Amino acid sequence: MRYKRRPSFLLGFAVRPLCIVAAIGASLLCAQTPDPQPAPATLTITGDLPSSLVLKAEDLSKMPRETVSVQDQDGTKVDYEGVLLLEVLKRAGAPLGNQLRGKALASYVLAKARDGYQVVFTLAEIDPAFGNEQILIADRRNGKPLFGYQGPFRLVCPGDKAGARSVRMLETLEIVRLQK
Amino acid sequence: MTSAVQMRRGVLLALGMLAPVLLTWWSAPAAAGGASAPYQWRLPQGFPKPPVPAGNPMTEAKVELGRYLFYDTRMSVNGKASCATCHRQSLAFTDGRPTGIGATGEKHSRSAMSLVNVAYAGVLTWSNPQMKTLEDQALVPMFGRHPVELGLSKDGDFLTRLRAEPKYRELFEQAFPGEMDPFTVTNVTHAIACFERSIISARSPYDRYHFGGDDHAVSESAKRGEILFFSQPLSCFRCHGGFNFSDATVSERNPSRQIEFHNTGLYNLAGILSYPAPNTGIYEYTQKPSDVGKFKTPTLRNIALTAPYMHDGSVSSLTDVLDHYAAGGRTIHGGPDAGVGHDNPNKDALIGGFSLSDRDRIDLIAFLKNLTDQEVIHDQRFADPWTEK
Repeated sequence: MRYKRRPSFLLGFAVRPLCIVAAIGASLLCAQTPDPQPAPATLTITGDLPSSLVLKAEDLSKMPRETVSVQDQDGTKVDYEGVLLLEVLKRAGAPLGNQLRGKALASYVLAKARDGYQVVFTLAEIDPAFGNEQILIADRRNGKPLFGYQGPFRLVCPGDKAGARSVRMLETLEIVRLQK
Repeated sequence: MTSAVQMRRGVLLALGMLAPVLLTWWSAPAAAGGASAPYQWRLPQGFPKPPVPAGNPMTEAKVELGRYLFYDTRMSVNGKASCATCHRQSLAFTDGRPTGIGATGEKHSRSAMSLVNVAYAGVLTWSNPQMKTLEDQALVPMFGRHPVELGLSKDGDFLTRLRAEPKYRELFEQAFPGEMDPFTVTNVTHAIACFERSIISARSPYDRYHFGGDDHAVSESAKRGEILFFSQPLSCFRCHGGFNFSDATVSERNPSRQIEFHNTGLYNLAGILSYPAPNTGIYEYTQKPSDVGKFKTPTLRNIALTAPYMHDGSVSSLTDVLDHYAAGGRTIHGGPDAGVGHDNPNKDALIGGFSLSDRDRIDLIAFLKNLTDQEVIHDQRFADPWTEK
């Protein structure tokens, strides 16, 4: 499936965020200078799960792939390719689908970047029965692997008006259950 | 009687409907190619098309006329200055001075901005939220009195000088075909605007690395610097983001973006006017005290060529720029501008300061230097045509 953003929803990856998600991100910020050495190309899914899952780029390449076409605030159009966050969380055993009810609804995903940046998504906004947000874990941009400050993995959130939750240099997804 | 009137009306209506078709057919040979041809942008991958005002479409002929006008000292009151005096190609179309100097020697209060990629600027000048087209902006240096820049008179004296130049008779006719007298102020500003829009920089080592797929185009130090630049602790990218490294960037796809202005803590004078007059930022237009010291984010493309920095040229080097941002504002210890910029009440929350190691500093400078496009400063399409052999 390939889907495009609605034209009125402009994604600003590189602009000053204006909405509340930016405030959430800023409040969670743990400032640290990023390690300039190349990051290991792995994505760790951890937290309140039966066991942690570590995915390499080749693991993601074998999962169902999606492409998202987004437009930056300066008009640049970019195609991102990767795997839906939903698919990765399901594979990690996060409470989704029939399991997403009762106390499980008070669960969220903490996405952490290599430079210390952090943002939050609730499981409900990702689950198809609730928000069904098509959030992508991207590993390719315009057909090429993500590199430098973009990669090797990043989030792409086409449903967000601001780009502040489209975390670059993504390293870890931590599942947190507030009620057990 | 009634049917005759109706028939006449019908004929007139038919002629009216046919008129655009006939006009198109009549003008087709001229527009099919050559001087009146639409301008070919030749944009690289990753660059969107710039917005162009409907009233001044880009043509090859207007761009070429604009180039001649841009470099012509007859466009000043005393024949001593042209647009290129403050916008030199070798310096990425800046002048290397802290602040500009006009044809009569009068000092401008602000630094000449680079014209490279000015086609993508959502607003023009450092701090005028209302100045949105190059056509309007050209009138300021041409006719402005405070300060005098080119010092031209509105009575059109300079147009007489232009008419006397045989080359211009050819260029104006090509750029504005069919006009009885194409030597008008409007046509001059339209042509200059078209030339300025054509100055696109997209061939820096950074572009070759990022958009061209050449992993060896930049050094490892510059790659580390890029990651620092785009990291959360430094957050340089929050204002200097996107393909043009400025949050004041617009394009054909998004021509009406909300432009933000920022106070970066350069000054903190006592009282409401915390920035030294007349450079009070967009406060000059809004009169809101919270807008004092807020200026547009300039592009960082070719930044290594455009020293000294900031709206008033008060920061001399890129190293000093890094020191300013690392400290979260500039402290001036004495004199009329003394104050702790870090504590400016209007300072942008993003200017919080950060720590840099010596290596970080070197890496960031290496990254910034990789934004220099040697081609744009040597491209003959943007060069002085009066000195061509």
